[in-house]
Formats: sequence, C-alpha cells, structure tokens
Amino acid sequence: MSQPTAPEALGSLTDETPIDPNSKKAKAITGRSPMQIALGRLLRDKIAVICAIVILFFIIVAVFAPLINKMLGVNTDTVFPSQYLDMLGGGMPLEGPPNNGFDPDHPFGIAPQTADDNLAYWVEGCRTSLTIAALATLFASVLGIVIGLLAGFLGGMVDKVLSFFIDLFLTVPFLLAALTLAPILNERFNTADSYVTIQKFSLIGVLAVFGWMGMARLIRGEVLSLREREFVQAARVLGMPTSRVLIKELMPNLAAPIIISVSLMLPAFVAAEAGLAFLGIGVTSGASWGQTIAKAVKYFEQYSLYLWEPLIGVVLLVLSLNLLGDAIRDALDPKTRR
Amino acid sequence: MFAYIVKRLISGFLVVTLVSMAVFALFWYGPSSPAKPICDREQGVRCIPERLVAYEKSLGYDNPIYTEYGKFVKGIFVGREIAFRTDVYQCDAPCLGLSYNTKQPVTHELVSRLPATISVAVGGAFLYLLLGVPIGVAAARRRGSVADKALVSSFLFLSSIPYYLFALLTWLYLTVLWEAPVVSDVGYFSPFSDGPLKWFGGLFLAWVALGIFGCTQYTRYTRGAMVEALSEDYIRTAKAKGLPARTVVYRHGLRAALVPVVTIFGIDFGSLLAGTIFTERIFEIQGIGYWSLQAVGNKDLPVVAATTLFSAVMLIFSNLIVDVVYSFLDPRVRLS
Repeated sequence: MSQPTAPEALGSLTDETPIDPNSKKAKAITGRSPMQIALGRLLRDKIAVICAIVILFFIIVAVFAPLINKMLGVNTDTVFPSQYLDMLGGGMPLEGPPNNGFDPDHPFGIAPQTADDNLAYWVEGCRTSLTIAALATLFASVLGIVIGLLAGFLGGMVDKVLSFFIDLFLTVPFLLAALTLAPILNERFNTADSYVTIQKFSLIGVLAVFGWMGMARLIRGEVLSLREREFVQAARVLGMPTSRVLIKELMPNLAAPIIISVSLMLPAFVAAEAGLAFLGIGVTSGASWGQTIAKAVKYFEQYSLYLWEPLIGVVLLVLSLNLLGDAIRDALDPKTRR
Repeated sequence: MFAYIVKRLISGFLVVTLVSMAVFALFWYGPSSPAKPICDREQGVRCIPERLVAYEKSLGYDNPIYTEYGKFVKGIFVGREIAFRTDVYQCDAPCLGLSYNTKQPVTHELVSRLPATISVAVGGAFLYLLLGVPIGVAAARRRGSVADKALVSSFLFLSSIPYYLFALLTWLYLTVLWEAPVVSDVGYFSPFSDGPLKWFGGLFLAWVALGIFGCTQYTRYTRGAMVEALSEDYIRTAKAKGLPARTVVYRHGLRAALVPVVTIFGIDFGSLLAGTIFTERIFEIQGIGYWSLQAVGNKDLPVVAATTLFSAVMLIFSNLIVDVVYSFLDPRVRLS
C-alpha cells in the first residue's frame, strides 16, 4: 500500500537516527498513506460500517456453514419426506409455517413437496453463493489485471490485439454465454461422479471468463497514464527489468482501481449466481438461493416465507456489497460524490 | 466518416465471425456427441450407439469441423438442405439451422418471436427516458434539497437490488396476489389479432419493471450532466438575457447534458433487443430471450447458437450506431 514517492525513501538519505515507529513522537509526525486516509474515511461512514457488519455475518455463515447447521441441529439430508408433509393437501408441511406456527426443529420451516429443511439450505446456499462469487472475482481479477497491465504497458500491437479481445468479450452478452455453455457442459459431464463440483467450477469459469473486461479496461487506462510518469521512466533508466517495473512500480499505484473493480464485481457475481440458478442454468444440484427462489415461486400464495428467506438473503448480501462498494469508491476518490 | 463506418463494419463482421466460430466449435467439441440430444429426443432409451452414429453421419458430424462450418456459413447466405437421418428438410437462406425440437428453420421462429422482444425493448427503453430524464433534471435543479437527497439515495438503494428479484416481486404481487385488472394477464399478445389493449396489458408490467429499474441509471447520468451543464457560463448568459427558466433549463442545459445519456441509451436499447431473458421469463413473454432459455432446457442446440449470434449482431450494431450518432450530437468528436 505504499506510494513509490513515499517519504521513507527520502528518510534513509538523511542522517537522523531512525525513530522507533511505535513511540509517541513517531506517531505524532508520521504521515498517513492514501490507503490509511481512505480507511479512516470509510470508518466514519455509518452506512459502510453497517454494510461491512452485514457482509461479515454472511461470510461467517458461509465459512462455518456445516458447523452452524450442526449446531442448530438441521441438515440438508431429508429422510422420508412424506412423514413431514400433508400429501393430500398439496404437499404442504404438517408442522411449522405456513399453517402451524413455529417449529423449533426447523426454525425456517421446511420446503413443500421435498420437506427439505429451509434453514440448512439457506446456510448452504449462502456458502455456495459466496464461494462462487469470491472465486470468480479472484480469477476475473487476475485475468483482468494481467491483460490490462500487458495491454497498457507494452502498447503497440499487443495493446491492439488485447483491446480487440476486450471488445470481443464485451460483445457477447454474459447471460447468453452462460446459457450457451450450460447445456453443453451438462451434456458432457452429467454422468460424471463429481458433477456437483464440476458444475460449480464451470460456473466460476464462465463468470470469470465473462467478467474480467471491466477490470482490464480500467487497469489499461491507468497504466497508459502511469507509464509516462517520471518514476516509471526513472526505474527504466536504472535498468529495472520490465516484470519488476510492473510489479514494484505500477502495481502499488493500481491498488485503488483494483479495489474499486473488485467491489463492483463481487455483488455482480453474487447476483449472477443466484440469477442463473433461478433460470435453472446455474447450480442445479446442491443448495443455491436462486434455485430455492425458483422453486418457491409457485407456492408464493400459500407459503410466502419459503420465497422470502432466500430472497432476503440475496437482496441483503448484494445490497450491502453494493453500498459498501460505493462507500469504498467515495473513500478512495473524495472528488466523486454519490 | 464513411471510412470510419466501413472500418467499424469490418471489425464488427470479424467479431460476428469469431463468435459464430466459437459457438460452432463449442457444439462440436463440447458435448459427448453433438448429435446426442436429437438422438435422445427421437429415440429415447433406444438411442443406442449405432443409431447415434447414424445421426452423426446424417447431420455431418463425421466430417471435419471446417467443412461443416463452411456449410453452416453457406446456409446463412444461400440456404441448404439438412437431413435428420432419413428425412431431408429444406432450409432457405438465411438458414441458421433447423430446430431439433420442431424441425422448423430457426430463422422462421426467430422472426416470429421478434415482435415480442421488440415490443418489450421499445416500451422499456421509452420508459427509461420518460422517467429517467425528467427526474434527473428535476433533481439537478433542486440540487442539495431534501427531495434531491431522498431521491438519490432511494434510487441508489433500488439499483443495488438484483433486477430479476425486483421484477419477480412485481409480478408476484400484482398478478398473483392482487390480480390487478388488465395488467395481470401477462404475456405477449399480437396487437393485431388480440387487440391493442390486450397487447398493452400483457406487456405493461414488464415495461414498468424494466422502466423503473432501468431509469435509476438515467436519472443518475442526467442529474450529473445537468448539474455540470447548469454551472456553465452560457447558462448564466442565457439567464442574464432574461430567458424564461424553462427555456434555459431545457433548451440550453438539457441539450448539452443529453449527449452522455444518448450514448448509454443506445447501448441499453441494443442489449434489450439482444434479449431480455429475465423479463421474458418472469412475465411469460414468448420473445427471443425466453425462447433461448427454453431451448437450453430442451437441449435444442441450433436455437441456442442462433440466439447467441443474433444478440451479438444486435449489440455490435447498436454500438456502431451509437458512435455515429454521437459524432453528430457532439461536433467535437471526430470519428475518422
């Protein structure tokens, strides 16, 4: 998080004795890096703090999903579903919502027809959602950063070709790409044993392959202006190898655009995962909020809670990620106002 | 200008070619056998390896991929004949293949579903502007007031929710729970055979959902551009001349502020034409987006390929048109 023109570089030239960084005197005079300033601004933003707490809650649920389910005494394996259901009355649950109040064994109620425990599926769905979004963001960021850096820094023919590919991928609508790939991947792997894992990873792959362009464009633009700056030219004159110039000189200056892109990507991927599952082309085996929403639509009149649970999960997570992202953007660039 | 358009058309053509190759290659190398979905559909459990081979042979999947791609491209320009085992079907130009499901040329169905998608796109895009621009202008004129702040934050909130959930809730409450009159009969009805009222009622909710959600972006852009435009010197000049406030805002201010709005509008309209899958799915509109979704469910590979190509073409064209229109609107932009 350091700026290349940070004061410590000059500090070593002076013959003052180095100050213990933890002493009171040091604290009084140390400057704050731009990232620290941004963080300070962020912490003063009430909405950002609330959103961060909500997101933290979802992350904890996702990380400890199996543990939480065990603790609450629920699981995703349903034995003999018919014993819990009113099979003559449309497959509605016998105990708990919607007809019989609260059921302590299944705090969120159970699903009609299948008698799956809603809480267990909600917790697992949270895990699916965040895992897929986080991994897709990671891969898309790496792809975007590498391509953006190369295009911006090398320029010339490389830039032309890479920019063409950025435009090419922007031309193919993401949703249709996912639609095209879904049946093909299904057809290929639906007999494999690890189908659930393959499905998740192919989804992550699709999200990453069609999600890196924004990041690449932003990075390319930044690099185009950065590479003409004095410190980069100085590094080149000193004979620094290109890879080192990229990593040591350019990357620290790209921290802000990278953080901004990531903050845009995460909510988009969470929404995309749930949306694809809702359309029946994302995670079809295993738990996913979008899939539960799709199932719950036809029971909405009798059993609206079944729909609201996953829906609130998606909305709350996407909303807080988006609002936190906005706050981060404001904190990093105080000139832009919402 | 002309040279620029030609250049853009060539690069657009290149992109379409690449996309079509990618889609073709995906079908070729992706599934265990590209003929398996159709074999499964027609033969059921009796799709034994020998029959599968017969299908592959009749559909040309035993030839090298470039030969078949050549046939596919030729079909688009001059039409061709497609054989499903023993039955031979004629597919006229522009031929995008035959649906595995109905054995009908994909192009025919694409054309028959086009009115629904266009209706959704035109209505939705119209509402984007109708709601977004005036609200944005009003907010910019009252910048910093309580109403402005409330509007900006509520729109920020709205646009942070996934669109399909907003549309789903609109549909669930208005048609399923409250059964609102006229508009609860959702779907696409032909304005000619079913009457314009039924057409309007069927699409109304889809338009409103699209419009309200989409206009947030336009409000933000219009507001930002208007705030900037209203602080320009020529606005002060116009006011000093004694022009009425309305003329100053709409004639002088909005004109400058609309340029970025037109840009995003063109791109948005293109992507609406390319297929509004969620809207069509939720509001049961038999357009191109819903069709491609159903084709995925049916493993109707030619349909999926055709819709992907169609939307890529739509997006490329809308981008081109936006760039050209932009150069007319803003004389500072020189294209060539």
